[in-house]
Amino acid sequence: MLDIQNITKKYKKGPFVYTAIDDVSFKVKKNDFFAVIGASGSGKSTLLNSIGGLIHPDTGKILYNNNDIYKLNRKASDRFRKEKIGFVFQQFHLLPYLTVEDNISMACFSNSHYENINPMLEKCSLTELKNKYPSELSVGEKQRTAFIRAIISKPEILLADEPTGNLDPQNSKVLLDLIEDFHKNGGTVLLVSHDSTVSGYATETIRLEKGKLT
Amino acid sequence: MNPLKLVIKEIFYRKISSLIILLTVIIASSVSVAIYTLSKASEDETRKIMREQGLNLYIYPKGTNLIDFYSVNNTRAFPEDYVDILANSKTFDAVRHLTGILQVKYSDWKDHNGSSHQIILMGYKDEAMQRFLPKQETMGFDVKKGTVHLGALIARNVDPGESFEILGSDGKPYNFKVAGRLEEGKGMIDQGVAFNLKDLQMVLGMEGKINKIEALGCVCKDGRIKNARNQVQSIFTDLEVTEISSIADARENQRIMMNKYGAFIIPFIILSCLLVTGFLFYQNIIIRTREIGILKAMGTGTFLILIMILSKAFILGLAGSILGFFSGTVIAEYFGSEIFRFTALNIKPVWALFYYTIMIFPLLWMISSWIPALVASRIDAAETLSKE
Repeated sequence: MLDIQNITKKYKKGPFVYTAIDDVSFKVKKNDFFAVIGASGSGKSTLLNSIGGLIHPDTGKILYNNNDIYKLNRKASDRFRKEKIGFVFQQFHLLPYLTVEDNISMACFSNSHYENINPMLEKCSLTELKNKYPSELSVGEKQRTAFIRAIISKPEILLADEPTGNLDPQNSKVLLDLIEDFHKNGGTVLLVSHDSTVSGYATETIRLEKGKLT
Repeated sequence: MNPLKLVIKEIFYRKISSLIILLTVIIASSVSVAIYTLSKASEDETRKIMREQGLNLYIYPKGTNLIDFYSVNNTRAFPEDYVDILANSKTFDAVRHLTGILQVKYSDWKDHNGSSHQIILMGYKDEAMQRFLPKQETMGFDVKKGTVHLGALIARNVDPGESFEILGSDGKPYNFKVAGRLEEGKGMIDQGVAFNLKDLQMVLGMEGKINKIEALGCVCKDGRIKNARNQVQSIFTDLEVTEISSIADARENQRIMMNKYGAFIIPFIILSCLLVTGFLFYQNIIIRTREIGILKAMGTGTFLILIMILSKAFILGLAGSILGFFSGTVIAEYFGSEIFRFTALNIKPVWALFYYTIMIFPLLWMISSWIPALVASRIDAAETLSKE
């Protein structure tokens, strides 16, 4: 499904060149739960954003069903992210002026997605909070809202960037259970974290260190 | 979710910034509307003052010495058809209310006591309708055939109910019904008698003749006398034009000055408001980088993001321009009633301006948000979303 081939990404900061990911290759099959574990600054987020079509690697290819996602035109690239990818971030990135329900409906683009909002809210114990604004939610509730937004349009791949980074152990478990549930229902998960306990949920685990697979 | 709903919710969420942007549109549009409305009122005021002053342009045969015009009967007459030719000319638009007049000194008019007086006789042709100009209310004397209007000094010598009698050039007496007795200093020379032109031509044996045309100079950008003179002389080289200067001149100068100020103040205020708006939009984009980043991560296209920012500018521009139009009109009505005597109660919303306002200001505010919108469309989603 996903074929990451020798990707390298370097950043320039003044006179210094910093290699975020260095010649990384691996494959993700459909319905894999892939955990990428690494310390802060190991290049996990760069790798995840590259796979999500947000960071163009300097070299290498990322193939989705044998198509290079960086050879897609802008419109097709937008459609790829909209239809195939769901993002969950450590910082939630909910829109402060939208309610829980509206934040989720932002990602909907068909009637079936809208119809799925209430069952998902129920499943994530957010029904009572659907008309609340992000500022009125706890961090766990915010992350669950962000999770529903990521999967409401039924993407094939869920990319989760340190999704439990801001959560306490109890909320982390709730969220990871929801991600596992998504995986069990046929979804493909690529989760990056510095916390090696998440590998307990993964079917595959890789480790990144200073941008290289170890 | 409908992007428009997103834009509206964002406007209401960031109330202060939206309110300031709205205020900039209101200020710019209301100042523009107020100045324009006041300048229109000033133009109307000038026109009305000029009407109040009476006809202010004299068109008469070239070479006439105006000092002699009232005292000596040596002015050359010309055909009354000249008035109609001018009125039917496409190129003659610098004056209004063309009135052909035959004016002569009459040396030996006897009052009811038999005393002899020197008086002025004026025969008025009906005001000419200028074919290629919009129809206007007439302002000259409308003297019906068989009647006369008496100046204040003459009226003192004609008893009420009595007719006005005068000897014609043929030695026969002519009688006219007195239709009006004017107050001192009102409307006509006090020692004058106003006739219908045909009647006076008959009394004096000057059928088809007049010796001056009176008219009202229009409010022209490039000076009414110069314009009127050129236009008359391009048609009749044997006529010339002179102007009776008046308060209208001062008013017109005031109006021109006001237009000059307006031409400076309106762009200055609009540009200042646009700069403030541009800055606020830029600041808004900086605050919203993560928001825009997440929209991009969810597959929202660059073009749609651009449209969403421009839509915000359009919505605020439209709302502000509508409010600005009405507040500008209220300001114009308030200050106009203090400034203008004649038009005080006639300052009304200029509806044509309303349509321009609601088209131009939203467009200008969209232009001011263009650079911030471009910045928004180029936000690096990965970079903003990875920041902790």
